[in-house]
Amino acid sequence: MAIVNLQNITYKYPLTDAPALQNMDLQVNEGEFVAIIGPNGAGKSTLCYTLAGFVPHFFKGELTGVVEVAGVESHNSSLSEWVSNVGLAFQNPFNQISGAKYTVFEELAFGLENTGVPRDEMKARVEDAMQLTGISDLAERSPYSLSGGQQQRVALTSILVMQPKVLVLDEPTSQMDPIGTREVFGVIHRMAERGMTVILAEHKVEWIAQFADRVIALKDGQILLDGTPSKVLTSPILPANGFGISRYTSAARKAQAMGLWKKDGLPVTLDEAVEGFSNEGAE
Amino acid sequence: MYLIIQPMHERLSFYVKRDSPLHHLNPLTKLTLVLGLVLISFLSPWYWTPHILLVIAIFPLSLVGRVGREFLRTFLRLILPAASFLFFMQAFFQPIGDQVIFKLWFLDITQESLLFAFRNAMRIIVMVSSFTLFLLTTHPSELMSDLTRRGLPPQFAYVIISTLQILPQMQAKAQTIIAAQRSRGLDTQSSFLRRAGSLFPLIGPLVFGSLVEVEERAIAIEARGFTSTRVKTSLYEIPDTNLDTALRWTFIALVIITIVLKLWLS
Repeated sequence: MAIVNLQNITYKYPLTDAPALQNMDLQVNEGEFVAIIGPNGAGKSTLCYTLAGFVPHFFKGELTGVVEVAGVESHNSSLSEWVSNVGLAFQNPFNQISGAKYTVFEELAFGLENTGVPRDEMKARVEDAMQLTGISDLAERSPYSLSGGQQQRVALTSILVMQPKVLVLDEPTSQMDPIGTREVFGVIHRMAERGMTVILAEHKVEWIAQFADRVIALKDGQILLDGTPSKVLTSPILPANGFGISRYTSAARKAQAMGLWKKDGLPVTLDEAVEGFSNEGAE
Repeated sequence: MYLIIQPMHERLSFYVKRDSPLHHLNPLTKLTLVLGLVLISFLSPWYWTPHILLVIAIFPLSLVGRVGREFLRTFLRLILPAASFLFFMQAFFQPIGDQVIFKLWFLDITQESLLFAFRNAMRIIVMVSSFTLFLLTTHPSELMSDLTRRGLPPQFAYVIISTLQILPQMQAKAQTIIAAQRSRGLDTQSSFLRRAGSLFPLIGPLVFGSLVEVEERAIAIEARGFTSTRVKTSLYEIPDTNLDTALRWTFIALVIITIVLKLWLS
Protein backbone atom coordinates (compact mmCIF):
# COMPACT_ATOMS: atom_id res chain seq x y z
CA MET A 1 0.00 0.00 0.00
CA ALA A 2 1.40 3.38 -0.94
CA ILE A 3 1.91 5.55 2.12
CA VAL A 4 3.43 8.37 0.08
CA ASN A 5 1.68 9.47 -3.05
CA LEU A 6 2.83 12.34 -5.25
CA GLN A 7 0.82 13.06 -8.37
CA ASN A 8 1.98 15.42 -11.07
CA ILE A 9 3.87 17.71 -8.72
CA THR A 10 5.28 20.95 -10.06
CA TYR A 11 6.83 23.47 -7.69
CA LYS A 12 8.49 26.85 -8.11
CA TYR A 13 10.28 28.66 -5.29
CA PRO A 14 9.19 32.27 -4.83
CA LEU A 15 11.03 34.72 -7.14
CA THR A 16 12.33 32.01 -9.46
CA ASP A 17 11.29 31.12 -13.02
CA ALA A 18 12.52 27.56 -13.38
CA PRO A 19 10.50 24.97 -11.48
CA ALA A 20 12.49 23.03 -8.86
CA LEU A 21 10.24 19.98 -9.38
CA GLN A 22 8.44 19.21 -12.64
CA ASN A 23 5.47 16.90 -13.27
CA MET A 24 6.71 14.42 -10.73
CA ASP A 25 4.86 11.22 -9.89
CA LEU A 26 6.08 9.11 -7.01
CA GLN A 27 4.56 6.32 -4.95
CA VAL A 28 6.34 4.87 -1.94
CA ASN A 29 5.03 1.79 -0.17
CA GLU A 30 4.82 1.42 3.57
CA GLY A 31 8.10 0.06 4.96
CA GLU A 32 10.06 0.81 1.83
CA PHE A 33 13.57 2.31 2.01
CA VAL A 34 13.95 4.67 -0.94
CA ALA A 35 17.18 6.50 -1.71
CA ILE A 36 17.21 9.63 -3.85
CA ILE A 37 20.36 10.53 -5.75
CA GLY A 38 21.13 13.42 -8.03
CA PRO A 39 23.64 16.15 -8.76
CA ASN A 40 23.44 19.46 -6.87
CA GLY A 41 20.38 21.43 -7.90
CA ALA A 42 18.52 18.34 -9.11
CA GLY A 43 15.71 18.92 -6.61
CA LYS A 44 16.62 16.43 -3.89
CA SER A 45 16.20 18.89 -1.04
CA THR A 46 13.06 20.37 -2.57
CA LEU A 47 11.55 16.88 -2.84
CA CYS A 48 12.43 16.25 0.81
CA TYR A 49 10.85 19.56 1.85
CA THR A 50 7.75 18.74 -0.18
CA LEU A 51 7.37 15.35 1.47
CA ALA A 52 7.92 16.89 4.89
CA GLY A 53 5.31 19.62 4.27
CA PHE A 54 7.74 22.57 4.27
CA VAL A 55 6.83 23.07 0.64
CA PRO A 56 4.42 24.82 0.45
CA HIS A 57 3.69 25.59 4.12
CA PHE A 58 7.08 27.11 4.98
CA PHE A 59 8.68 28.10 1.67
CA LYS A 60 5.49 29.40 0.05
CA GLY A 61 5.91 29.48 -3.73
CA GLU A 62 3.68 27.75 -6.21
CA LEU A 63 2.85 24.06 -5.79
CA THR A 64 0.49 22.21 -8.11
CA GLY A 65 -0.44 18.55 -8.01
CA VAL A 66 -1.30 16.22 -5.14
CA VAL A 67 0.94 15.48 -2.14
CA GLU A 68 -0.55 12.76 0.01
CA VAL A 69 0.99 10.99 2.99
CA ALA A 70 -0.92 8.39 5.02
CA GLY A 71 -4.13 9.41 3.28
CA VAL A 72 -3.88 13.11 4.20
CA GLU A 73 -3.45 15.77 1.57
CA SER A 74 -0.76 18.38 2.21
CA HIS A 75 -2.90 21.32 1.08
CA ASN A 76 -5.58 20.42 3.64
CA SER A 77 -3.21 20.10 6.56
CA SER A 78 -1.22 22.50 8.70
CA LEU A 79 2.52 22.10 9.02
CA SER A 80 2.36 21.29 12.71
CA GLU A 81 -0.12 18.46 12.04
CA TRP A 82 1.85 17.25 9.04
CA VAL A 83 5.11 16.86 10.96
CA SER A 84 3.53 14.28 13.24
CA ASN A 85 3.23 12.01 10.17
CA VAL A 86 6.45 12.89 8.41
CA GLY A 87 9.74 13.49 10.24
CA LEU A 88 12.53 15.49 8.60
CA ALA A 89 16.24 15.56 9.42
CA PHE A 90 18.84 17.32 7.33
CA GLN A 91 22.52 18.02 6.73
CA ASN A 92 23.87 20.29 9.38
CA PRO A 93 23.51 18.64 12.78
CA PHE A 94 24.40 21.84 14.60
CA ASN A 95 21.45 23.74 13.14
CA GLN A 96 19.04 21.00 14.11
CA ILE A 97 19.74 21.43 17.81
CA SER A 98 16.85 23.53 19.11
CA GLY A 99 19.11 25.75 21.22
CA ALA A 100 16.38 25.93 23.83
CA LYS A 101 17.56 22.98 25.91
CA TYR A 102 20.51 22.26 28.12
CA THR A 103 20.73 18.46 27.98
CA VAL A 104 20.22 15.84 25.28
CA PHE A 105 17.33 14.38 27.23
CA GLU A 106 15.55 17.76 27.32
CA GLU A 107 16.41 18.28 23.67
CA LEU A 108 14.70 15.02 22.74
CA ALA A 109 11.66 15.90 24.82
CA PHE A 110 11.29 19.28 23.07
CA GLY A 111 9.08 18.00 20.24
CA LEU A 112 6.93 16.03 22.67
CA GLU A 113 6.46 19.07 24.90
CA ASN A 114 5.38 21.07 21.86
CA THR A 115 2.81 18.49 20.83
CA GLY A 116 1.43 18.10 24.33
CA VAL A 117 2.50 14.55 25.21
CA PRO A 118 1.90 13.80 28.93
CA ARG A 119 5.02 13.74 31.11
CA ASP A 120 5.21 10.01 31.89
CA GLU A 121 4.71 9.00 28.29
CA MET A 122 7.24 11.64 27.25
CA LYS A 123 9.97 10.18 29.47
CA ALA A 124 9.24 6.64 28.35
CA ARG A 125 9.32 7.59 24.68
CA VAL A 126 12.57 9.54 25.02
CA GLU A 127 14.22 6.64 26.84
CA ASP A 128 13.04 4.12 24.23
CA ALA A 129 14.23 6.27 21.36
CA MET A 130 17.64 6.80 22.95
CA GLN A 131 18.00 3.06 23.42
CA LEU A 132 17.11 2.51 19.78
CA THR A 133 19.68 4.94 18.42
CA GLY A 134 22.31 4.05 20.99
CA ILE A 135 22.68 7.45 22.63
CA SER A 136 21.45 6.65 26.15
CA ASP A 137 24.88 7.51 27.53
CA LEU A 138 24.60 11.05 26.17
CA ALA A 139 21.36 11.87 28.03
CA GLU A 140 22.90 14.34 30.49
CA ARG A 141 25.39 15.96 28.10
CA SER A 142 24.88 19.38 26.57
CA PRO A 143 23.83 18.93 22.92
CA TYR A 144 26.49 21.47 21.97
CA SER A 145 29.35 19.52 23.49
CA LEU A 146 28.85 16.50 21.19
CA SER A 147 30.73 15.44 18.07
CA GLY A 148 29.08 15.86 14.66
CA GLY A 149 28.10 12.20 14.44
CA GLN A 150 26.65 12.25 17.94
CA GLN A 151 24.77 15.49 17.24
CA GLN A 152 23.32 14.03 14.07
CA ARG A 153 22.15 10.95 15.97
CA VAL A 154 20.56 13.25 18.54
CA ALA A 155 18.84 15.14 15.69
CA LEU A 156 17.58 11.84 14.22
CA THR A 157 16.40 10.66 17.63
CA SER A 158 14.60 13.94 18.24
CA ILE A 159 12.56 13.20 15.11
CA LEU A 160 12.08 9.47 15.81
CA VAL A 161 10.77 10.17 19.28
CA MET A 162 7.80 11.88 17.63
CA GLN A 163 6.96 8.54 16.01
CA PRO A 164 6.41 9.69 12.43
CA LYS A 165 5.07 7.25 9.85
CA VAL A 166 7.59 8.37 7.25
CA LEU A 167 11.18 9.44 7.88
CA VAL A 168 12.62 11.92 5.36
CA LEU A 169 16.38 12.51 5.49
CA ASP A 170 18.12 15.16 3.43
CA GLU A 171 21.81 14.23 3.11
CA PRO A 172 22.17 13.47 6.81
CA THR A 173 25.79 12.33 6.48
CA SER A 174 27.15 14.98 4.11
CA GLN A 175 29.00 16.74 6.93
CA MET A 176 30.07 13.58 8.72
CA ASP A 177 33.47 11.93 8.82
CA PRO A 178 33.56 8.18 8.03
CA ILE A 179 32.88 7.24 11.65
CA GLY A 180 29.96 9.65 11.91
CA THR A 181 28.60 8.34 8.59
CA ARG A 182 28.72 4.77 9.84
CA GLU A 183 26.96 5.73 13.08
CA VAL A 184 24.19 7.57 11.27
CA PHE A 185 23.68 4.87 8.64
CA GLY A 186 23.54 2.33 11.45
CA VAL A 187 20.57 4.19 12.93
CA ILE A 188 18.83 4.62 9.56
CA HIS A 189 19.27 0.92 8.79
CA ARG A 190 17.83 -0.08 12.15
CA MET A 191 14.79 2.15 11.58
CA ALA A 192 14.22 0.67 8.13
CA GLU A 193 14.50 -2.85 9.53
CA ARG A 194 11.82 -2.05 12.08
CA GLY A 195 9.49 -1.33 9.20
CA MET A 196 9.63 2.45 9.05
CA THR A 197 9.25 4.05 5.65
CA VAL A 198 12.51 5.86 4.92
CA ILE A 199 13.19 8.35 2.14
CA LEU A 200 16.83 9.33 2.02
CA ALA A 201 18.54 11.88 -0.23
CA GLU A 202 22.19 10.90 -0.27
CA HIS A 203 25.39 11.01 -2.32
CA LYS A 204 27.17 8.06 -0.77
CA VAL A 205 26.16 5.37 -3.29
CA GLU A 206 28.09 2.57 -1.65
CA TRP A 207 26.03 2.96 1.51
CA ILE A 208 22.83 3.24 -0.52
CA ALA A 209 23.65 0.03 -2.38
CA GLN A 210 23.97 -1.80 0.92
CA PHE A 211 20.73 -0.69 2.53
CA ALA A 212 18.16 0.81 0.15
CA ASP A 213 15.30 -1.18 -1.45
CA ARG A 214 14.93 1.25 -4.27
CA VAL A 215 16.85 4.14 -5.83
CA ILE A 216 15.46 7.16 -7.61
CA ALA A 217 17.76 9.31 -9.74
CA LEU A 218 16.69 12.97 -10.05
CA LYS A 219 17.81 15.41 -12.69
CA ASP A 220 16.47 18.94 -13.20
CA GLY A 221 13.47 18.31 -11.01
CA GLN A 222 12.42 15.16 -12.84
CA ILE A 223 12.80 11.46 -12.22
CA LEU A 224 15.44 10.04 -14.53
CA LEU A 225 15.63 6.50 -13.24
CA ASP A 226 13.67 4.48 -10.69
CA GLY A 227 14.49 0.91 -9.73
CA THR A 228 16.56 -1.45 -7.58
CA PRO A 229 19.97 -0.20 -6.39
CA SER A 230 21.93 -2.68 -8.51
CA LYS A 231 20.07 -1.59 -11.62
CA VAL A 232 19.97 2.18 -11.13
CA LEU A 233 23.42 2.66 -9.62
CA THR A 234 25.18 0.79 -12.43
CA SER A 235 23.24 2.39 -15.27
CA PRO A 236 25.44 4.05 -17.90
CA ILE A 237 22.99 6.95 -17.94
CA LEU A 238 24.24 8.17 -14.54
CA PRO A 239 27.83 9.22 -15.31
CA ALA A 240 26.65 10.79 -18.57
CA ASN A 241 24.35 13.06 -16.55
CA GLY A 242 26.81 14.20 -13.93
CA PHE A 243 25.90 11.76 -11.15
CA GLY A 244 28.55 10.51 -8.79
CA ILE A 245 28.86 6.75 -9.08
CA SER A 246 30.60 4.08 -7.05
CA ARG A 247 34.32 3.72 -7.73
CA TYR A 248 33.77 -0.06 -7.90
CA THR A 249 31.28 0.44 -10.72
CA SER A 250 33.64 2.67 -12.69
CA ALA A 251 36.55 0.27 -12.15
CA ALA A 252 34.47 -2.68 -13.35
CA ARG A 253 33.18 -0.69 -16.32
CA LYS A 254 36.74 0.02 -17.42
CA ALA A 255 37.62 -3.60 -16.89
CA GLN A 256 34.57 -4.56 -18.96
CA ALA A 257 35.75 -2.36 -21.85
CA MET A 258 39.07 -4.18 -21.74
CA GLY A 259 37.31 -7.53 -21.62
CA LEU A 260 38.35 -8.26 -18.04
CA TRP A 261 34.86 -8.15 -16.48
CA LYS A 262 32.71 -10.92 -17.88
CA LYS A 263 29.74 -10.90 -15.49
CA ASP A 264 26.46 -9.41 -16.70
CA GLY A 265 25.80 -6.75 -14.08
CA LEU A 266 28.32 -4.24 -12.73
CA PRO A 267 29.16 -4.08 -9.01
CA VAL A 268 28.35 -1.18 -6.67
CA THR A 269 29.94 -2.32 -3.43
CA LEU A 270 33.40 -3.58 -2.59
CA ASP A 271 32.08 -7.09 -1.89
CA GLU A 272 30.38 -7.36 -5.27
CA ALA A 273 33.51 -6.13 -7.02
CA VAL A 274 35.75 -8.56 -5.18
CA GLU A 275 33.35 -11.40 -5.92
CA GLY A 276 33.11 -10.51 -9.63
CA PHE A 277 36.83 -10.16 -10.13
CA SER A 278 37.72 -13.32 -8.19
CA ASN A 279 35.23 -15.37 -10.25
CA GLU A 280 37.03 -14.15 -13.36
CA GLY A 281 40.29 -15.31 -11.86
CA ALA A 282 38.87 -18.74 -11.03
CA GLU A 283 37.71 -19.50 -14.53
CA MET B 1 15.94 11.99 37.65
CA TYR B 2 17.08 13.69 34.51
CA LEU B 3 17.45 17.10 36.06
CA ILE B 4 20.39 19.13 34.78
CA ILE B 5 23.50 17.49 36.13
CA GLN B 6 26.24 18.93 34.02
CA PRO B 7 30.00 19.05 34.26
CA MET B 8 31.36 22.55 34.78
CA HIS B 9 32.89 22.95 31.33
CA GLU B 10 29.55 22.38 29.66
CA ARG B 11 27.71 24.95 31.70
CA LEU B 12 26.26 27.86 29.80
CA SER B 13 24.35 29.49 32.62
CA PHE B 14 25.00 30.71 36.16
CA TYR B 15 22.83 27.96 37.56
CA VAL B 16 24.35 25.82 40.30
CA LYS B 17 22.55 22.56 41.00
CA ARG B 18 21.97 22.16 44.74
CA ASP B 19 19.28 20.77 46.90
CA SER B 20 18.01 23.75 48.87
CA PRO B 21 14.72 25.39 49.88
CA LEU B 22 15.50 28.22 47.48
CA HIS B 23 15.99 25.79 44.58
CA HIS B 24 12.64 24.20 45.37
CA LEU B 25 10.73 27.46 45.17
CA ASN B 26 8.72 28.20 42.06
CA PRO B 27 10.70 30.35 39.60
CA LEU B 28 7.98 32.99 39.52
CA THR B 29 8.10 33.21 43.32
CA LYS B 30 11.83 33.86 43.17
CA LEU B 31 11.33 36.42 40.43
CA THR B 32 8.70 38.18 42.54
CA LEU B 33 11.07 38.11 45.49
CA VAL B 34 13.87 39.67 43.46
CA LEU B 35 11.70 42.36 41.94
CA GLY B 36 10.21 43.01 45.38
CA LEU B 37 13.65 43.50 46.97
CA VAL B 38 14.70 45.81 44.16
CA LEU B 39 11.55 47.92 44.28
CA ILE B 40 11.60 48.19 48.05
CA SER B 41 15.25 49.25 48.13
CA PHE B 42 14.63 51.88 45.46
CA LEU B 43 11.31 53.21 46.74
CA SER B 44 11.70 53.01 50.49
CA PRO B 45 11.60 56.44 52.16
CA TRP B 46 14.25 55.38 54.76
CA TYR B 47 17.89 55.87 54.03
CA TRP B 48 19.15 52.59 55.43
CA THR B 49 16.67 50.22 53.76
CA PRO B 50 18.98 48.86 51.03
CA HIS B 51 21.80 48.34 53.54
CA ILE B 52 19.50 46.46 55.88
CA LEU B 53 18.03 44.36 53.07
CA LEU B 54 21.50 43.28 52.04
CA VAL B 55 22.38 42.16 55.55
CA ILE B 56 19.11 40.64 56.71
CA ALA B 57 17.79 39.27 53.40
CA ILE B 58 20.30 38.76 50.62
CA PHE B 59 23.30 37.33 52.45
CA PRO B 60 21.19 34.96 54.58
CA LEU B 61 19.27 33.89 51.44
CA SER B 62 22.51 32.96 49.71
CA LEU B 63 23.19 30.62 52.64
CA VAL B 64 19.63 29.23 52.59
CA GLY B 65 20.12 28.56 48.86
CA ARG B 66 23.45 26.81 49.64
CA VAL B 67 25.22 28.92 47.06
CA GLY B 68 27.05 31.09 49.63
CA ARG B 69 30.50 30.49 48.16
CA GLU B 70 29.48 31.12 44.53
CA PHE B 71 27.50 34.18 45.58
CA LEU B 72 30.35 35.64 47.61
CA ARG B 73 32.76 35.08 44.74
CA THR B 74 30.50 36.99 42.30
CA PHE B 75 29.89 39.64 44.94
CA LEU B 76 33.58 40.33 45.60
CA ARG B 77 34.80 40.02 42.03
CA LEU B 78 32.02 41.72 40.12
CA ILE B 79 29.36 43.48 42.15
CA LEU B 80 31.54 45.21 44.74
CA PRO B 81 34.09 46.66 42.25
CA ALA B 82 31.34 47.91 39.95
CA ALA B 83 29.41 49.47 42.82
CA SER B 84 32.57 51.09 44.22
CA PHE B 85 33.29 52.67 40.86
CA LEU B 86 29.74 54.00 40.79
CA PHE B 87 30.14 55.30 44.33
CA PHE B 88 33.28 57.32 43.55
CA MET B 89 31.90 58.73 40.33
CA GLN B 90 28.77 59.94 42.04
CA ALA B 91 30.54 61.20 45.15
CA PHE B 92 32.92 63.34 43.09
CA PHE B 93 30.66 64.64 40.41
CA GLN B 94 27.38 65.20 42.22
CA PRO B 95 27.10 68.96 42.76
CA ILE B 96 24.77 68.88 45.76
CA GLY B 97 25.02 70.18 49.30
CA ASP B 98 27.37 72.74 50.82
CA GLN B 99 28.98 70.92 53.76
CA VAL B 100 32.34 70.42 52.12
CA ILE B 101 34.29 67.66 53.80
CA PHE B 102 37.38 67.91 51.66
CA LYS B 103 38.60 69.34 48.38
CA LEU B 104 40.44 67.48 45.68
CA TRP B 105 41.81 69.86 43.06
CA PHE B 106 38.62 71.43 41.70
CA LEU B 107 36.30 68.77 43.14
CA ASP B 108 34.33 69.39 46.30
CA ILE B 109 33.31 66.38 48.28
CA THR B 110 30.26 67.22 50.36
CA GLN B 111 28.57 65.20 53.02
CA GLU B 112 25.41 65.17 50.94
CA SER B 113 27.09 63.82 47.84
CA LEU B 114 28.78 61.11 49.89
CA LEU B 115 25.50 59.99 51.42
CA PHE B 116 23.76 60.18 48.06
CA ALA B 117 26.43 58.11 46.33
CA PHE B 118 26.53 55.57 49.12
CA ARG B 119 22.80 54.95 48.95
CA ASN B 120 22.77 54.66 45.17
CA ALA B 121 25.67 52.23 45.24
CA MET B 122 23.83 50.16 47.85
CA ARG B 123 20.69 50.12 45.73
CA ILE B 124 22.66 48.85 42.77
CA ILE B 125 24.30 46.25 44.98
CA VAL B 126 20.90 45.04 46.19
CA MET B 127 19.61 44.88 42.64
CA VAL B 128 22.53 43.02 41.11
CA SER B 129 22.99 40.73 44.12
CA SER B 130 19.41 39.62 44.19
CA PHE B 131 19.43 38.90 40.45
CA THR B 132 22.67 36.98 40.88
CA LEU B 133 21.07 34.94 43.62
CA PHE B 134 18.09 34.30 41.35
CA LEU B 135 20.28 33.12 38.46
CA LEU B 136 22.36 30.93 40.75
CA THR B 137 19.33 29.06 42.06
CA THR B 138 16.99 28.98 39.04
CA HIS B 139 17.51 26.87 35.96
CA PRO B 140 16.74 28.95 32.84
CA SER B 141 14.63 26.26 31.18
CA GLU B 142 12.65 25.79 34.36
CA LEU B 143 11.97 29.53 34.53
CA MET B 144 10.89 29.62 30.89
CA SER B 145 8.64 26.56 31.04
CA ASP B 146 6.98 28.01 34.11
CA LEU B 147 6.44 31.39 32.49
CA THR B 148 5.21 29.73 29.29
CA ARG B 149 2.75 27.69 31.34
CA ARG B 150 1.46 30.97 32.78
CA GLY B 151 0.90 32.49 29.37
CA LEU B 152 4.22 33.88 28.17
CA PRO B 153 4.34 33.28 24.38
CA PRO B 154 6.62 30.27 23.71
CA GLN B 155 8.32 32.20 20.90
CA PHE B 156 9.43 34.80 23.44
CA ALA B 157 10.76 32.18 25.83
CA TYR B 158 12.54 30.47 22.94
CA VAL B 159 14.30 33.67 21.88
CA ILE B 160 15.58 34.29 25.42
CA ILE B 161 16.86 30.77 26.04
CA SER B 162 18.34 30.17 22.62
CA THR B 163 20.17 33.49 22.69
CA LEU B 164 21.81 32.49 25.96
CA GLN B 165 22.88 29.21 24.38
CA ILE B 166 23.82 30.39 20.94
CA LEU B 167 25.99 33.36 21.94
CA PRO B 168 28.99 31.22 22.93
CA GLN B 169 28.57 29.31 19.66
CA MET B 170 28.59 32.53 17.64
CA GLN B 171 31.65 33.66 19.51
CA ALA B 172 33.42 30.45 18.55
CA LYS B 173 32.34 30.92 14.95
CA ALA B 174 33.67 34.50 14.91
CA GLN B 175 37.00 33.17 16.15
CA THR B 176 37.06 30.64 13.30
CA ILE B 177 36.31 33.31 10.71
CA ILE B 178 38.99 35.61 12.16
CA ALA B 179 41.52 32.79 12.03
CA ALA B 180 40.51 31.98 8.44
CA GLN B 181 40.82 35.62 7.34
CA ARG B 182 44.12 36.09 9.14
CA SER B 183 45.56 33.05 7.42
CA ARG B 184 44.80 34.92 4.21
CA GLY B 185 46.66 37.98 5.38
CA LEU B 186 44.02 40.02 7.20
CA ASP B 187 45.59 42.43 9.67
CA THR B 188 43.96 42.17 13.08
CA GLN B 189 46.81 43.25 15.30
CA SER B 190 47.97 46.72 14.31
CA SER B 191 46.49 50.18 15.01
CA PHE B 192 42.95 50.61 16.24
CA LEU B 193 41.63 52.17 13.02
CA ARG B 194 43.15 49.46 10.90
CA ARG B 195 41.62 46.84 13.11
CA ALA B 196 38.23 48.53 13.03
CA GLY B 197 38.46 48.51 9.23
CA SER B 198 39.43 44.87 9.18
CA LEU B 199 36.26 43.97 11.04
CA PHE B 200 34.20 44.41 7.89
CA PRO B 201 35.31 41.24 6.13
CA LEU B 202 34.35 39.36 9.30
CA ILE B 203 30.85 40.73 9.58
CA GLY B 204 29.69 39.42 6.20
CA PRO B 205 30.34 35.74 6.79
CA LEU B 206 29.17 35.92 10.40
CA VAL B 207 25.90 37.74 9.73
CA PHE B 208 24.93 36.07 6.47
CA GLY B 209 26.00 32.70 7.78
CA SER B 210 23.79 33.27 10.80
CA LEU B 211 20.82 34.22 8.64
CA VAL B 212 21.07 30.94 6.73
CA GLU B 213 21.31 29.16 10.04
CA VAL B 214 18.22 30.88 11.30
CA GLU B 215 16.20 29.45 8.42
CA GLU B 216 17.52 25.96 9.03
CA ARG B 217 16.88 26.22 12.74
CA ALA B 218 13.36 27.44 12.04
CA ILE B 219 12.81 24.33 9.90
CA ALA B 220 14.30 22.13 12.60
CA ILE B 221 12.06 23.38 15.40
CA GLU B 222 9.08 23.50 13.07
CA ALA B 223 9.73 19.82 12.29
CA ARG B 224 9.29 19.22 16.00
CA GLY B 225 5.92 20.83 16.23
CA PHE B 226 6.97 24.19 17.67
CA THR B 227 3.91 25.95 16.28
CA SER B 228 1.55 23.14 17.19
CA THR B 229 -1.73 24.46 18.50
CA ARG B 230 -2.04 21.70 21.06
CA VAL B 231 -1.57 22.60 24.72
CA LYS B 232 2.13 22.23 25.49
CA THR B 233 3.36 20.00 28.28
CA SER B 234 6.61 20.18 30.22
CA LEU B 235 9.24 17.52 30.90
CA TYR B 236 9.79 18.81 34.41
CA GLU B 237 7.24 19.18 37.07
CA ILE B 238 7.73 22.69 38.36
CA PRO B 239 6.84 23.08 42.04
CA ASP B 240 4.18 25.61 42.94
CA THR B 241 3.04 25.17 46.53
CA ASN B 242 0.88 27.17 48.92
CA LEU B 243 4.10 28.57 50.35
CA ASP B 244 4.89 29.97 46.90
CA THR B 245 1.55 31.69 46.63
CA ALA B 246 1.88 33.08 50.17
CA LEU B 247 5.38 34.40 49.51
CA ARG B 248 4.35 36.05 46.29
CA TRP B 249 1.42 37.86 47.88
CA THR B 250 3.53 38.86 50.89
CA PHE B 251 6.08 40.51 48.63
CA ILE B 252 3.48 42.23 46.52
CA ALA B 253 1.94 43.56 49.77
CA LEU B 254 5.34 44.74 51.04
CA VAL B 255 5.97 46.62 47.81
CA ILE B 256 2.56 48.27 48.00
CA ILE B 257 3.18 49.25 51.65
CA THR B 258 6.53 50.76 50.65
CA ILE B 259 4.93 52.79 47.90
CA VAL B 260 2.17 54.01 50.21
CA LEU B 261 4.70 54.99 52.90
CA LYS B 262 6.82 56.77 50.33
CA LEU B 263 3.84 58.80 49.08
CA TRP B 264 2.60 59.44 52.59
CA LEU B 265 5.93 60.56 54.04
CA SER B 266 6.97 62.77 51.17
